[in-house]
Amino acid sequence: MIATLVQWKDVWQTVVASVVAGVGITFAFSVGIWGTGQFVELSRSDRQGAASAAGLVALLAFAVVAAAVIIGIVVMTQK
Amino acid sequence: MSADVILVIVVATALAFDFTNGFHDTANVVATSISTGAARPSVAIGFASLLNFVGAFISISVAATVAKDVVNAEVITPTIVFAGLIGAIAWNLITWYFGLPSSSSHALIGGVVGSAVAAAGLDAVLAEGLVGKVLIPAVVAPLVAFLVAGLAIGISYRVVGKQRPGIVTRGYRYGQIVSSGLLALAHGTNDAQKTMGVITLALIAAGKLGAEADPPTWVIVASATAIALGTYSGGWRIIKTTGTRIIKMDAAQGFSAQGAGAAVILASTHFGFPLSTTHVINGGVMGSGAAKRLSAVRWGVAGNIVVAWVLTLPAAALIGALTYGFTRIFGTGALGPALVTLMALSLVTAAFARRARQGAPVEAVGG
Repeated sequence: MIATLVQWKDVWQTVVASVVAGVGITFAFSVGIWGTGQFVELSRSDRQGAASAAGLVALLAFAVVAAAVIIGIVVMTQK
Repeated sequence: MSADVILVIVVATALAFDFTNGFHDTANVVATSISTGAARPSVAIGFASLLNFVGAFISISVAATVAKDVVNAEVITPTIVFAGLIGAIAWNLITWYFGLPSSSSHALIGGVVGSAVAAAGLDAVLAEGLVGKVLIPAVVAPLVAFLVAGLAIGISYRVVGKQRPGIVTRGYRYGQIVSSGLLALAHGTNDAQKTMGVITLALIAAGKLGAEADPPTWVIVASATAIALGTYSGGWRIIKTTGTRIIKMDAAQGFSAQGAGAAVILASTHFGFPLSTTHVINGGVMGSGAAKRLSAVRWGVAGNIVVAWVLTLPAAALIGALTYGFTRIFGTGALGPALVTLMALSLVTAAFARRARQGAPVEAVGG
């Protein structure tokens, strides 16, 4: 009976989207922190090229997180 | 005249529920930020309160769906709504008293289902809505959040493992401020709308609004204000439970629980299968602790929380049904709801006075 009452497709989509979004955002933010840490370390040891690359990685990762935040707000306004 | 009095009582009770909703659910938004030191308690709560208020204005598109999905709308009367609200408020206050985070939405749905069944029998319940939109999400939410936060913290530790602790801690603390802001907005949008929906439903039932009317501006402003004031009052007992009693968390765990939680809530909202913020955040806290070390989770506390979740629907339903039955002793007029309101106010005052005399069983986190 429960099988007919539940929209299993919605449940499955929600679980997959939650795992992808939840893990993805945390991963992107962690990469941002890693890039920032590397940027600081490498800048101190005067390796400007590598530091710039790490900084760029951090910026891109934080940009992904910022985009996710904007998408989140759009989801709230459109539901 | 009697109908107008009932309507005023229902509106006031709905706003009181909205206040307890904010008060009860403050922990979902601020507990992890406060316990990891990402924000001072007063700042975190003020920020959450402001964004709750703003969030209430973001969307009103689902304002009237909270009870319609689980109860036959044709049987709804202002007295049924009133009794359901009393069931929800009572369960929110009982769980607050014991410092247990439970879903305010489930309390509201349970209360309305109970009072509707007492009024019109089991036929009043829409089984598909109850199972598909309430019971299954109640099981799915904590499990998904547990899994996602567990995976997220595992990945986070691997990515930042060799970085200096100072940068890592500061970074995740900043992240928590953003994720708590997003959660506060989502909470204001979702939960204030439930109160708007309930008040609008009562106004329609009383013939003050057309059947398809949107919530009037005063309803939106009043609901936003009530939930923001409730959030600002801060349910410290539950903040303590979520923030420090389930696990002792570091900033990365706090971010995993809260950031992953926000992503889970918004992803589920996008797919039309909204999950309880309370279930998601607390499931996430447990997951981020268990992924580090199973024994890091205080399973006794977690077990008490799960028991509260299981009891929420039936307990709120029972209180809602008893309240409806009591009001009907005095007929269909305003006397029953008025008496229940007076009794409820007396009980709430006594409970707060008793707690004040005893002192808080759990001290406020961070001050």
